[in-house]
Amino acid sequence: MAKLTLKNLSKSYGEIAALRSLSLDVHDQEFFVLLGPTGAGKTTTLRCIAGLEKPEAGEVWIGEDLVNNWSAANRDVALVFQQYSLYPNYTVRKNLEFPLRSKLRRITDEDIGLRVQKAAETLRISHLLDRRTDRLSGGEMQRVAIGRAIVREPRLFLMDEPLSNLDAKLRELLRSELQELHLKLGATLVFVTHDQVEAMTMGDRIGVLCEGQLAQVGTPYEVYNMPRNTFVASFVGTPPINLFDATINDEKIVVAPEKFEFSLPPAARSRLAKVTSDRTKLCVGVRPEHVKLVKTGGIAGTLYGAADHGVEMIMTVNVADHLIQTTQPPTTRIRLNESVRIAFTPDKIHFFDPETTENLACAGNDP
Amino acid sequence: MADIDLIDVDKHFGANWVIRKLNLRVDHGEFVVLLGPSGCGKTTTLRAVAGLEEIDSGEIRIDGKSVESLPASDRDIAFVFQLYSLYPHLTAFENIAFPLRAFRMSDKEVRGKVKAVAKVLRIEHLLSQKPSALAGGDMQRVTIGRALVRRPKAILMDEPIGALDAKMREEMRVELRRLHIENNSTTIYVTHDQIEAMSMADRIAIMNDGVLQQVGSPTEVYSRPANLFVAQFVGSPIMNVVDCRIEPADSATNIRLDGMQSVFRFGSDVHRHVAAVGHEEIALGVRPEAVLVERSDQAGYVPAKVHLIEPQGAYDILDIGVGKAVIRARTESQFVTRLHEPVWVQLDPERSHFFDKKSGFALPIGK
Repeated sequence: MAKLTLKNLSKSYGEIAALRSLSLDVHDQEFFVLLGPTGAGKTTTLRCIAGLEKPEAGEVWIGEDLVNNWSAANRDVALVFQQYSLYPNYTVRKNLEFPLRSKLRRITDEDIGLRVQKAAETLRISHLLDRRTDRLSGGEMQRVAIGRAIVREPRLFLMDEPLSNLDAKLRELLRSELQELHLKLGATLVFVTHDQVEAMTMGDRIGVLCEGQLAQVGTPYEVYNMPRNTFVASFVGTPPINLFDATINDEKIVVAPEKFEFSLPPAARSRLAKVTSDRTKLCVGVRPEHVKLVKTGGIAGTLYGAADHGVEMIMTVNVADHLIQTTQPPTTRIRLNESVRIAFTPDKIHFFDPETTENLACAGNDP
Repeated sequence: MADIDLIDVDKHFGANWVIRKLNLRVDHGEFVVLLGPSGCGKTTTLRAVAGLEEIDSGEIRIDGKSVESLPASDRDIAFVFQLYSLYPHLTAFENIAFPLRAFRMSDKEVRGKVKAVAKVLRIEHLLSQKPSALAGGDMQRVTIGRALVRRPKAILMDEPIGALDAKMREEMRVELRRLHIENNSTTIYVTHDQIEAMSMADRIAIMNDGVLQQVGSPTEVYSRPANLFVAQFVGSPIMNVVDCRIEPADSATNIRLDGMQSVFRFGSDVHRHVAAVGHEEIALGVRPEAVLVERSDQAGYVPAKVHLIEPQGAYDILDIGVGKAVIRARTESQFVTRLHEPVWVQLDPERSHFFDKKSGFALPIGK
């Protein structure tokens, strides 16, 4: 296993810049998730690491080797795609053996047998070894595809949305399995996804990509609790964070254009004062779990919608035409259009610069 | 508006049963969601109600009248598909007005009706746009507007928001629910997405392999699933289902998972029910939020180990080893921070379920 370093990687397709001077350190044995929407540059990054794509500028280091000029085959990385890309007429065993049969590798039959057996046990597909891959379910096929990566014992695993084609139940199961596999193998793994739940649950660290640049790199907790900018704040977390443009008016925060206001207790006020200096314009962010329903005080609104999620109720409150979401216990019952009052947990409110979209609390730090 | 009755409806394609003896009543003004995996028969059921699919036996009644001999066009039902199916050369206004043009209606009347529907759907400002200028969510609003404008007896929707991105889907769920409450139209809605079903339906009808599994309110199907299929299809993360042994004790029941030294203590009614029904093979079902976790030993709790921590942002999911079994628990964010940390767990008896593994049926314990 090896660490991975990307230095100022750039790549464009015609007019469109896919990667813009992207730098990244992935630690040895780390489960690193590249998260971002379609077109953010996730897959391009992965393909540059694998050697399937040549960056216009920048360096790719695997371990202590600068591999820019190495062919994909020599880089000793294994790729797993969303499509299983198995040989349909072959048995599972033959599919697993295939990458080891290469003349370049010179692995003995006995060794091949052992590696295949070990990979199959790890992935719990031993009972399928003699079955043809076109007779397998989606989950089984993806396990075989991962198995084919494992047998090679590569320095680096690269996975491109490998769970996206599976149904919800299987995805959940394979998420846990992949993490256990990662712990067991001590593998360095770069995993690409657009699904923030996948990123949060699996990554040791997450790199959030936006338009070919890393908006933030951090542990799931860091990314969720201290998003660097409004893009990260709204891309990570479901239901999404509530964001409003506002101005500071003495001790009050006034939300515009449709107007409502709330005041901050002293502690939150001094926290805000520290980061705002003489700024009066703000973007305020509050996650739904930090919006409380209160009996008195707070901000008046009406119930706009209620969605039962079983484990909790997601309620949408209309305050002066701002739709604010709040997470409530599943037993909460409020009628549509009924009056409610909400309050924000003061120490959980985020303040962003409306121009740069940066979180004021992390201004000046590196991503 | 109308009520819809499906009575002993059967449908097969050759030797394949698509719908088997389906009985379902949708009341006047009710929003019923047909929920199930692909191939479960939900779309065929919807199409049969619309008159787009013939049934092999049974009866479909709208407002008490059998519609067997009534062609689709005479059933006065509106159908909304996943694909927008708008006329590209017509404005949003004309698309919505289209079904009204078949009637002898004055322009003024048409305008009034279109405006009223557009207001509810919040697309008044888009009425002069062509479909190509609209975002996916807005296009689907126009499609729904076209379905609503002539006030049909019932509205049938087949995954109408399945093609939208996650954020738009969430918004549309809230809007569709509001729309239903405001318009009170009898609605049957097909989806494979349990969150959609939970957050919009008055009642959910869950199907699998052409067979209706359970019909009930979101709370009912979530808290009292009729069988293993429903238990694991509704809710995310999925309900834990583990093998267990049930041992009578003095005025209590001991529940032992595979490899467990100590036991979970439940009320005596559990073994009485199990004994009365005579089931030998019992599975225990418990949702992650009903697995209670403590960091110190407490009365009634058993020792366990944390295998994985899966942060979700607002909360964490822990994979916990209890005996040889692994169960998932929902805790506060960062409640447990290190892998392999010892914890103590208890299952909330009020929210635990027991299933007959052979039939899949839930035992009526505590019900």
